[in-house]
Amino acid sequence: MYTLTDVTKTYRKGHHTVTALEDLNLAIAQGEWLAVQGRTGSGKTTLLQLLGALDHPSGGVINFDGRDLARLPETDMTEVRADSIGFVFQTFNLIPTLSAQENVEAALIPQRLSADQRRQRAAEALASVGLAERASHLPSEMSGGQQQRAGIARALVKEPRVLLADEPTGNLDVDTRDEIIALLEALWRDRGLTLVLVTHDTSIASRAQRVATMHDGHLSMATDEQAQPDPASGGRNRPGRQ
Amino acid sequence: MTTPASPGSPPRSAARHHHHPPAIDRFTLTYLHRELRGRLRQALLIAVGLGLGVGLVITVTAASASLSSAQSTVLHSLYGIGTNLTITKSSNPAADRPGGGLQQADALQPTSSGLFPSTTVTSVSRLAHVASASGGLQLSQLTQSRGIPQATPVEGVDPAHPDLGPLPSDTLTAGRTLRPTDRDSNVAVVDSGYAASNRLSAGSTITLGGATLHVVGIVSPQNAGVTDIYIPLATAQAIVRSSDGTSLTGRVNVIYVAAGKSTLIPAVQTEVTRLLSNVTVTSSSDLARQISGSLSSAATLTNALGRWVAATTLVAAFAVASLLTIAAVTRRVREFGTLKALGWSSKRIITQVMSESLAIGVIGAAIGITLGFAGASLVDVIAPKLSATVPESSEASNTTTTIAVRLAAHVSLTAVAAATVLALAGALIAGSIGAWRATRLQPASAFAEVQ
Repeated sequence: MYTLTDVTKTYRKGHHTVTALEDLNLAIAQGEWLAVQGRTGSGKTTLLQLLGALDHPSGGVINFDGRDLARLPETDMTEVRADSIGFVFQTFNLIPTLSAQENVEAALIPQRLSADQRRQRAAEALASVGLAERASHLPSEMSGGQQQRAGIARALVKEPRVLLADEPTGNLDVDTRDEIIALLEALWRDRGLTLVLVTHDTSIASRAQRVATMHDGHLSMATDEQAQPDPASGGRNRPGRQ
Repeated sequence: MTTPASPGSPPRSAARHHHHPPAIDRFTLTYLHRELRGRLRQALLIAVGLGLGVGLVITVTAASASLSSAQSTVLHSLYGIGTNLTITKSSNPAADRPGGGLQQADALQPTSSGLFPSTTVTSVSRLAHVASASGGLQLSQLTQSRGIPQATPVEGVDPAHPDLGPLPSDTLTAGRTLRPTDRDSNVAVVDSGYAASNRLSAGSTITLGGATLHVVGIVSPQNAGVTDIYIPLATAQAIVRSSDGTSLTGRVNVIYVAAGKSTLIPAVQTEVTRLLSNVTVTSSSDLARQISGSLSSAATLTNALGRWVAATTLVAAFAVASLLTIAAVTRRVREFGTLKALGWSSKRIITQVMSESLAIGVIGAAIGITLGFAGASLVDVIAPKLSATVPESSEASNTTTTIAVRLAAHVSLTAVAAATVLALAGALIAGSIGAWRATRLQPASAFAEVQ
């Protein structure tokens, strides 16, 4: 699904140039669950943004099903995001003035659906994450876990091929974190999604098929021996696929 | 927490037909409504700002219009709405006045103006660019009241030309006006102020120049102080008293002229000057330049300072609305960045921002129109009494007439429409700037600001 070749990303910050990614090479297969670990500032969020067609790299090639995201114009990038990629954010990023139902519908706006179709699909998406009874609630009227469920429903309502999750449990308590991760895992398995999950939590990362580690803009893959199963997750660390 | 329901139905194989949704659909309206309700205070702040600017423009426009209307009415009360020019004779008033010398008590005599033969009126009416002309006789009845001489202005008007002369600009409040059949009848139309002072009504009789006249109508002029009694010209010519018995039949001391078009007024002035010697030809613009008094000062102040203040306030309102809109967009960086991540196009985001601004503009227009009407009413209530001092139409005369003016600030439909357009334009300007700011956001940079 993804092939990243010599990808580099630099930013200008005042008079300084910051290198967020340097000569990164990575392949992600369709239906794979890849976890990306690393400290703050290691470049994992930047990697996620490039995978999600949110930004262009400074150099290199990002092949996404035969299309080089690095060379796509903004309108095509928008189309890729609308069709193929779902995002789950650490801070949920729900629109505060819209209900859970309306937040999920917002993801279907780029598609030519009738209002009734949009409403029905959003309702089904919320039901699939166990949030049907909160459909009319504003984000301020929901708990953190409920908001993240709504965020997941919004990400999946358009049936994307890729789900990119940036610290989806970063703002949640331990119990809720486990529920959200379990939900993501179930959705990944049942829908055949390609899931790339950024986390600094080793126990969460260990549930993935493969674990990549970011350090100062460089990526390395964890070996089978280095991946430590988390007993709390049921030890689901699977052999990695390259 | 309950175990989630079975996550999923197999992926839908719906074709991806998208990226060209309608510009404004139900979701846009819902989102717009929620945003305005959720950020009500800020929306109202922008709307009130726009409304203040627009309301001030309406108020100043209404005040300016009322002053212009008052000035026009002052001019019209002197020689009528249909009249473009007045012609008077530039000559020695004493030599021309029948009987010469001092005006006798209880005498009805011409004011200090030269006299024309009525044939002059015919000659003027035949000029190339003249639509019509009529003669008048401006008179003064001198009476003694408790030993104090009082002059009552009287004018002999031609009933065959109801569209010329001072009478048409007055409003009939009782009885009727002069008709062509009243040509030489002993009838009169009196000013309402004169009627009230002398306890006259339609059907009463008055004495002028020794003749008894029947009051057939009462008029309420827009502005008081010019003519108290209107009588048919031929009647005036017959009853004017002269010390040597000279009749004024066939003579006038003012000619009212209507040009074919307002643009031909200068041409008519030239033609009259060529035709007649020793005459003063005065147009409405000539008279307007001579108007002095508090009305003139107020009009100048309103036109200069008032409009400048209104324009500055409007520009300030637009600027504040733009800044507040940019601030609102900046606060919604995460929101717009998320929408871009969801696949919203820049066009869609622009539509959303502009729709919100337009809605605020509509509210601002409503506030502005309300404030404008309130401001115009306030002008009516608190405006001081104004007056206009106008010189007599004869160059030879140094006398002036002071006319009291009543202001009536009126908000026209045009002003309301213009105010609505202004408020919407201000909102759209603010919305455009905000939308430009929103579309400049990169989805990735938006996330970097909040994470």
